Amino acid sequence: MTEHTAIIHDIGYRHYEGPRLGRGNAARALALHSLRGVFGLGRTTRAKIIPFLLAAIMMLPAVVSIAVMALAKQSGIGYPSYAVAMQAVLAIFLASQAPYLVAPDLRYRVLPLYLSRPVTVLDYVGAKLAAMTAALFLLLAVPLTVMYVGELLVDLPGPPHTRDYIASVVSALLVALLLASIGLALASFTPRRGLGVASVIAFYLFTSAVSGVFFAVLSANGHEIAARWALLINPIFLVDSVQVALFGTAPSTGEGYPAGPWSALILLAVIALALTALVSRYRKAASS
Amino acid sequence: MNTVVADITYRAMLGRKRILLLVLLPLALIAVAGLLRLIGGSSEGTAVTLMKSFAVGTILPLLGLVAGTGVIAPEIEDGTIMHLLSKPISRPVIAFTKFVVAASLMALFAALPTFLAAYLLVQNESGIAYGFALGALFAGIAYAAVFLLLGVLTRHAVTIGVIYALIWEGLVGGYVPGARTFSIQQWAQSIADQVSSSAFFKADVSIGFAVPAIVVVTVAALLIAGQRLRSLSLTGEE
Repeated sequence: MTEHTAIIHDIGYRHYEGPRLGRGNAARALALHSLRGVFGLGRTTRAKIIPFLLAAIMMLPAVVSIAVMALAKQSGIGYPSYAVAMQAVLAIFLASQAPYLVAPDLRYRVLPLYLSRPVTVLDYVGAKLAAMTAALFLLLAVPLTVMYVGELLVDLPGPPHTRDYIASVVSALLVALLLASIGLALASFTPRRGLGVASVIAFYLFTSAVSGVFFAVLSANGHEIAARWALLINPIFLVDSVQVALFGTAPSTGEGYPAGPWSALILLAVIALALTALVSRYRKAASS
Repeated sequence: MNTVVADITYRAMLGRKRILLLVLLPLALIAVAGLLRLIGGSSEGTAVTLMKSFAVGTILPLLGLVAGTGVIAPEIEDGTIMHLLSKPISRPVIAFTKFVVAASLMALFAALPTFLAAYLLVQNESGIAYGFALGALFAGIAYAAVFLLLGVLTRHAVTIGVIYALIWEGLVGGYVPGARTFSIQQWAQSIADQVSSSAFFKADVSIGFAVPAIVVVTVAALLIAGQRLRSLSLTGEE
């Protein structure tokens, strides 16, 4: 009995007829946007304070080291131990920024909007992971490179530490990938930013404290081998041990690490586990 | 103290994912103590190391952060604090009630597990268990008040709290002895040192400074938080 009187009027919206750049470009744009967001670019001034403050703290040892090289003609802090020395700053950066990357989209349930474009769940997760990894890598690689350039300019007696520099940049990439995958996986389990920050930092503090306590107790009781394994619980020491295995650099802890390919295998397993958790979390979020 | 506000806050704290961190961290502490006992490290020195660097140095600030900011920051973040603030309850009373909730959670999830972990390792030896549990209790109350204030002051409360706990108490306190005087976890150690007679352990800050400092910091943080709640602005960043 009801008559269908509803009509859709063409009110003259113009259609987009330009080129469509497709999936790859969309994912790249998302990654770049996320990377800018991690450093607070394109966000409020307040959002810039913490990332840039932490980046400045990361630069401090490099600057001091160049000054030591220039004035005292001695080599300053070693490249391979930079990440270990600055691990607390890296962890705070990860904890404060990883939730920003994942929490708002989950909280406001806008994931379906992304997925209505050519972007797939894997593209989305990949873009976020790439952004966080790139941010952490920059955080480490920029001071290392500045220090290396400084070393070349100061021209200390003896050959430059090129091998150490390359080793530290490669392991900076590994640190960045490991921390980014763990951080994003942990942060994605809660849509609340504050709780995300707390859980990521809890993970870091917990692993580093456990590895420290077990190392101290095991070596005091004469279990030297087990004590070295306990060190690997701390993710930064895990990457440091991989660096030692790959490049033969001096271990940053003063003690050795367990020899062999085990630390590299553990590293890969942890990254794979974190990424599996992250992707399955997003598959669930996308389907709900 | 307002029981309805307290009830709502308890439900918000215990009914969400927040409870996972509140339960997992103390469980992990007890598990580590059990593991240390298994591998034969149940000496007094081990117990003191575990308590100093792990229970008071790591778990306590983390729980303080989760409980202290958790009672108020999420409500401010999503704006639902409006419903609470528009009721005829004085704002300092709201702040105080939320503090009592956070402090009681700290007693349950921080001080009690600290006692259990130390007891598991060395029983009653030298009063280590009682000392650190008492230290964790009072320092936990101070952490709850300070982090509650941070939660009222800024949207980045957790990050700033982490920076305080890690950089100031951890890194700076590790190298600069003067910084230890103004660190809540050192005050916890002073109280622990007062109770315990262990030879493995000597606090850096005197008890005569630590106890008044805890009281002053807690009361001042609560008063400021109450005042700030009276003029809270919800127009947020982001």
